[in-house]
This record gives sequence, C-alpha cells and structure tokens, in this order.
Amino acid sequence: MREKATTLYFGPQHPGITGNMMIRLKVEGDTIVKATIEVGYLHRGFEKLQEKRNWLQSFTLLCRFCVPEPDPVEESYARAVELLEGREVPERAKYIRVMMLELARMGAYMLWYGGQNASLGLYTMGQWSVGDRNYILDLFEELTGGRIYHMYIWPGGVRRDLPEGFADKVLRTMDYFEKRLKDYDDLMFSSTIFRKRTQGIGIIPKEKAVEWGVVGPVLRGSGIHSDIRIDDPYEVYDKLDFIVPTEEGGDIWSRALVRRQEVRQSIHIIRQVIEKMPQGEYYNRIPNPLKWALPKGDAYARTEAVRGEVGMYIVSDGSIHPRRTHFRGAAYVHAITLLENLLVGENISDVAAIMNSLGTCPPEIER
Amino acid sequence: MQEKKIKNKIIKRVKTNFKDARDRNDFKYNRLDFSVKKEIIPSVLFYLKDEMGFIHLSHISCVDWLEEGELEVVFILWSPEEKIKVFVRTRLDRDNPVMDNLDMIWRQANTYERELREMYGIQFTGLEAPDEFILEDWQGPPPMRRDFDTEAYSNETYFHRPGREDAEDVRETITKRSGEDIPDFAKKYSR
Repeated sequence: MREKATTLYFGPQHPGITGNMMIRLKVEGDTIVKATIEVGYLHRGFEKLQEKRNWLQSFTLLCRFCVPEPDPVEESYARAVELLEGREVPERAKYIRVMMLELARMGAYMLWYGGQNASLGLYTMGQWSVGDRNYILDLFEELTGGRIYHMYIWPGGVRRDLPEGFADKVLRTMDYFEKRLKDYDDLMFSSTIFRKRTQGIGIIPKEKAVEWGVVGPVLRGSGIHSDIRIDDPYEVYDKLDFIVPTEEGGDIWSRALVRRQEVRQSIHIIRQVIEKMPQGEYYNRIPNPLKWALPKGDAYARTEAVRGEVGMYIVSDGSIHPRRTHFRGAAYVHAITLLENLLVGENISDVAAIMNSLGTCPPEIER
Repeated sequence: MQEKKIKNKIIKRVKTNFKDARDRNDFKYNRLDFSVKKEIIPSVLFYLKDEMGFIHLSHISCVDWLEEGELEVVFILWSPEEKIKVFVRTRLDRDNPVMDNLDMIWRQANTYERELREMYGIQFTGLEAPDEFILEDWQGPPPMRRDFDTEAYSNETYFHRPGREDAEDVRETITKRSGEDIPDFAKKYSR
C-alpha cells in the first residue's frame, strides 16, 4: 500500500547554518519526494540602502551580507570600485588582502567543521574548531579592531598597515593549526560515523554540476577543476603557488575532503604571502569620501569564498551614490535550485548535512 | 595580445549571427559587452552558451534608469575555456517590462527571475515559480525601483512607538541634549 505523503517544515531555525530559511518537505515515510525552499526571514534591503549612501559608507553593510566570512564581499566590492574608477592598488596592499582572505577562509572552514559535524550529531568537533577559530579572530582583532566584521579591505588598498610583530603571530598561528589539523583528521575523517553518514549522500553528478550552476568547493567535490583564484586571478594569486584539490565522488564526503585539503592550502598560501610581502605603501588614498563620485559605467568583480563564487555588480551614474549594487552569493544558487533538486530521494535525517555541505548561507540570498 | 585576439574572434562571431548587437571592447581586463534587443536575448544566450563556451551564468541583475523610462537587465556569463566574461544587456520599457523566461538555459536563472519580478516588477513569460520569493504579502510597488521612497513608505505604514519620539533624529537629539551644534558636513544628512 502506498504511504500517504506528509508535509514537514524544516526550519527556519537550524543549528548548523548561519541565518534562517525554511524548507517545506513533502515526505513519504522518511524519504523526501519534494522540497520547496522558502526564504524571506532575513531581508534587510541592503542594496536599497546602499543607493542612499556614498561609495564608502556601504562597507558597514557589506560585511553583514554573509557573517561567517565577510572579507570576500568587502574585497569584491572594493575591487569592483577600483575596476570602475581605474584606481591602482599598491602591491603590499594586495598581499595583505590575500592574507586577510585566506585567514577568513580558514575561519569560515573552522565554522564549517563545527556545522557539518553538528548536523550529524557529532558535537565535539565543533567545540574544538570553533574554539580554534578564536585564534584567527584574535589576529583579526589586532589588525582591524573587529573580530567578525572588519571593514578592513577598502577601495585603494587596506585600512592600516600590519602592526609590529604581526607577521610572526600569523606564522605561529599557522604552525598551531598545522598540528591541530591532525587531531581534526583523527576525530572527523577517521570516524566511522562521519564516513557512513556522508558517503553516497547528496550526490551531485559531474555532468550535472556545471549545468546546475554549482561553484566553489562543491563543484570541485564533483571532480571539476575550477577556482576563480586560478581561472580569473585577482590580487596576487597568480604569483602564489598552491593547488586546487578536487575529488570525484560528488557526495558530502568528497566535499568534506576538498575542504580538508583547502584549509591546508590556505596555510601554505599565508606562509608564502608573509614571505613575499614587499615593503611600501598600503593605501592609495581616495579623495574626500563625501564628494567622491565614480565615473559613469558598471563593473563586476568576483572572489572565491568558501561557499564558491561571490561577486559584486556595481553601477554608477557618475554621482556620489551607487546607482545600483547587486551581490551574487554562491548560496543564491546552491541553497535554492540545487538544494531543491538534491533533496529529492534523500532521507529526512540527511537534510541538515546536505545543507551544510553546500555552504548554505541564507543572509546572502536575501541581503 | 592573445586575449585581444580571442575577444575580437568572439565579437566577430556574435555580430555575424546577430547583426544589430552593439559591442564594447575597450576594457583593459578580460571583459566584453554586448547590447541587444530583448526579443533576441534567449537566442543570444543560447548561442553564447552552446556555441561559444560561455557555460557559466555568473549573475543576472537589473538597473532602473528612471529618467530614461527604462529598466536594464544585465546577464554576466563566464567562459572557463577562454577566460573571458561577457556582459549581455537589454533594455525594457519601464511601464510594461516583459521578457522571456530563461530558466531552460540555466536552471538557476529561475531564482534571479523571481527576485527581479518581485523587486522590479519584470514579468518573465512562462516563469514557473511560487508568487512570493523574499517579500511576504507585499502590496506596494516593486521596492527596488528608484521611485519607491522607503522612508515615506515606512512613515505611512508603521507608527512610532510612544515615548521614542526623541530618537527620531539622532543628531538633533544629541544637539538638544549637549547644546553643541551639528557639524556643517553632517547638516545635510539631518532632517
């Protein structure tokens, strides 16, 4: 006898991800037959607000687009402004930006370690990784004054130079993380529970991945070599040596393996940046921000974040206010059309893990 | 040099197939720009995706040119092979913005279209999606249009909590309390 379908409301509160969104699941037994994403819990009208502000005032909003990793958003906006204006950025500032972006990537991956494991009921990992993330936040605090929101990367360079002895602190933190990641492997990747709950779950086939608009570590987890840092290099990524890991499986496990290697690559990149960073200016001063008008035109700059491609499209009509700013987040694609597809046929108990593995971040969907 | 060659090749092929496409190729970085009529948008995008390798849809955005009475829809595509991004733009009549649905080319276009429908009032013919996306029970005009005044709307729709009147303008309240003048540069931001 065919079981009757039941509607199950998943969310809008989730323990594993930042922000609120709801999935309306139609289930038969504990198998999902249809999933509908409903967003609308976090709309703050940032892009409308930006139209009323001048070009620099947007930064207080930008870092709130996606809380776990705000720096790529700031960087893409700053770079879009620079592209539009044709403003040069000092070499040192570019290196500092890469260091910030990679530190932010590591910080966001530490949260992901916690979220991904918590979605499977493994809570110890989160206690460790979120605790370790504080060492990165300490660095941010010393450099920018803020632990979570930095507003540090801005048009023309960065807001201030590295404090004395900061580079050594970064290197010491990297040494710590390198040792610490071995513990993470023992706890997470050697865990039978983790492996059994993630292998073969939430599979994105290689041939479908590009068609569905998948980006970032999720795409690399499906065996496609794609990374904006290599394909469309920005800042000084073309001068650095790092590999882009890929895995063939396309399931949660493969995506986890990709991320596991990417944290190590970030450490590798940060060490190179510290070693190669030149002396000199860190900021190409902009004119009085209250009178600063950009030339007429538009620009789109994109950055590789932990979730994948994030980008900022800005349009100027020649005035001191943006005509339009439009943010593109990876979750915009992953958490709606892709997730709706992916959940069909899966078990209810895997929904949270699949959501997490896609890097779902509702604040960047609604902005 | 190599990049310039690729750019010229793409422009030539697009202009051969779509005669009235206007192009821009004066960018110093890996970008191309085409303006086309809205009727041929699906065929241009199909062509760029299937024939030219622009398989990745980066972004769909909309800009309101209120003074000109037009909405501009911009598609940003990326070719992983040629390492070029291409902007395809079209203009719609602001009073009757209708264009074809494009989610058969890229599935994720569906989400962008839902947002543009809600925020700019653009109707995509054949778009199959729930009516509401971000806004709930929205009765007003499309809120991202330039002529939508957020302040006036919130003054009409919501009321001030009694006892909080002094918090209406932070600068004036501080001035009243401290007796200091508002600095000149901040005056224009005060009501």
